[in-house]
Amino acid sequence: MNLEKVVFGFFIVLAMTLNFGFFIGDIDNPNHHHVYELYAAIVVNLIATVLKFGDRTQIGAILLSTSLVANLQLIVGAVLWVSLSGSVDEPTIITYVVSLSGGAFLANIISVILLVAETINQRR
Amino acid sequence: MNSILFLILRRMRRPLIAIIISFAIAIVGLTLMPGQDNNGQPWQMSIFDALYVISYTATTIGFGEIPYAYSNAQRLWMTFSIYLTVIPWFYAIGKIISLAQDSGLRAALIIARFAHTVKLLNEPFYIVCGYGETSGLLVNALDNKGIHVVVIESQQDRLNELELNDSQFIIPNLCADAKLPDILSKAGVYHPLCNGVVTLTDDDQANLAIAVAVKLMNPSLPVLARAEKEETAANMTSFGTDHIINPYTLFGEQLAMKVHAIGTYILHEWLTDVPGDTLPPPVCPPIGKWVVCGYGRFGKSVIQNLRREHITATIIEADPRMTGCDDCITGSGTEAKTLLEAGIKDAVGIVAGTNDDINNLSIVMTAYELNPDLFVVIRKNKRHNEPLFKQFNADITMQPSDIIAHECLAHMISPLLAQFLTLARYQSNDWSNRLISQLVAVVGETVPETWAVTIDSKHAPAVSALLKNSTPVMLQHLMRDPADRDQTLNLVPLMLSHGNKQTLVPDISTVLTEGDRILFCGRPSAKSALPLLLNNQKALIYSIDGKEIYDSLIWRWLNNQKI
Repeated sequence: MNLEKVVFGFFIVLAMTLNFGFFIGDIDNPNHHHVYELYAAIVVNLIATVLKFGDRTQIGAILLSTSLVANLQLIVGAVLWVSLSGSVDEPTIITYVVSLSGGAFLANIISVILLVAETINQRR
Repeated sequence: MNSILFLILRRMRRPLIAIIISFAIAIVGLTLMPGQDNNGQPWQMSIFDALYVISYTATTIGFGEIPYAYSNAQRLWMTFSIYLTVIPWFYAIGKIISLAQDSGLRAALIIARFAHTVKLLNEPFYIVCGYGETSGLLVNALDNKGIHVVVIESQQDRLNELELNDSQFIIPNLCADAKLPDILSKAGVYHPLCNGVVTLTDDDQANLAIAVAVKLMNPSLPVLARAEKEETAANMTSFGTDHIINPYTLFGEQLAMKVHAIGTYILHEWLTDVPGDTLPPPVCPPIGKWVVCGYGRFGKSVIQNLRREHITATIIEADPRMTGCDDCITGSGTEAKTLLEAGIKDAVGIVAGTNDDINNLSIVMTAYELNPDLFVVIRKNKRHNEPLFKQFNADITMQPSDIIAHECLAHMISPLLAQFLTLARYQSNDWSNRLISQLVAVVGETVPETWAVTIDSKHAPAVSALLKNSTPVMLQHLMRDPADRDQTLNLVPLMLSHGNKQTLVPDISTVLTEGDRILFCGRPSAKSALPLLLNNQKALIYSIDGKEIYDSLIWRWLNNQKI
């Protein structure tokens, strides 16, 4: 067992689960989507991205790009939330943010699939 | 470039994670702390506000308490956040600075930039390994002649000299060991426009290693290598090195050429010199008894060539046993006694050929005092002693680096030129003198441009098209000014080569055939005018029979009606 691998796997899976947690619920109901969950998802996604830096293999490159996609969508969602609050009604804002986080969730799923595929490929 | 980016990302991993985690903790904490707004209502910071506050705090900008004055709980958390976030921030900045100063990273950057510059070269170029006196001359001359060069040298201070030189083109250069195949490939050994590799370092082993590496990497690439030892030269030949240059043998041959055929020598010197320089005045060594001081590799070659010209030579050598000299006078030659013993009084010439410049000068000074009519040949080893030699003004000053550079140029300007010079050596002195006077009449007293032209559909479409129409094109048609056919261009055809058959100084009424290669020599103006005749059929037809072809269909039709 390798501690680095544990940390790596932990952050990638956590990024997906947090993302899922924020995404799940009625798309236009602000009560189903907590801001702290989005915040946690962004932070964990950022950490996962940085952990993927510097891997020159093909799978490493794809892992990094999925993370970048997830980050992009989540951060755009957060920026929309901040900039639109006050001018547009809350259900509309939350719809935008949740749909963006849905895209990020897809990217995170791909990331986890790749991680699993790589692990299976590494035959003992 | 790609690998450098990954290297930076990898090294930045730890500081970036430290920043993300510390910011995340500080932001969440700040949003949870209870506060009050201006009306005394309970108020908590939003995540966005907290991000804003922590960002300016961590970067030590510090705008203060925004938007309301903080409660004690918030201030407590801010105090904690300052220590939590500022330290990782400085850690990251320190890491970036140390990365920028990292010698490994810098070297990687320099190599990447060099490889990129070479890759972008879009004109034929040569790779020169080693930048010493010889290569310096060579690079300068090539640059003057409009040929691109890439330089690899293992000493940075020599490259600094190159960068200070004022050159026509940008010369990509790299401080690295040229023996490494990776460096050679970055310098463009695999580049489709690479014309050849020249290795002129003063280390035979290094030259051998480079020649072998290049021949293994890209066998079709011509290699010119300097070799001073027989065994190195033999080894290079076995790997297919195209031209092996031994400065000592070359010097001996040139001295013999001077004694035997001064015209040929001047022709050689002239055609491989930097265009625009003035012609050196010819000096012809006398025939008679010679004294040669120094029987090293240089002296041996001189003696061998002098003897071939049936000139008797007495040798003076300080260490006869080591140099393998059986019949010589022992001594350095710097004192009058040895020189007198060698018979300096009735000699016609002296060769001061030791590997020490000061000794050479001393030998020649002493000899001059004993016999003021001597013809003096002196060997100059170091370029920085130039002023001393200029002061002395010997009849012939021989400098290995000059000789090598000239020889390399002959091969690099055009393979035809090297072929021409080899053939010219077999011609008589009168032939050379006639050619020189012909050249002087056309191009004047300055060093001319030399270039080769191939007659085929790619390089000379106009000529090729007329030949396909079975219109005969003669050499003289290429020698007329395309603006006024009564004026001739200032150029002389030196050689016409077709297949394996070479004609030296072809007659101007020679009819050209497809596949001919012609070596021209002339003024720069002629060199720039010639492509018009080669590429433009209208200009060529005007040059042949003085007729203008009309551009438009109607004029052409009218013209045909008249006839």
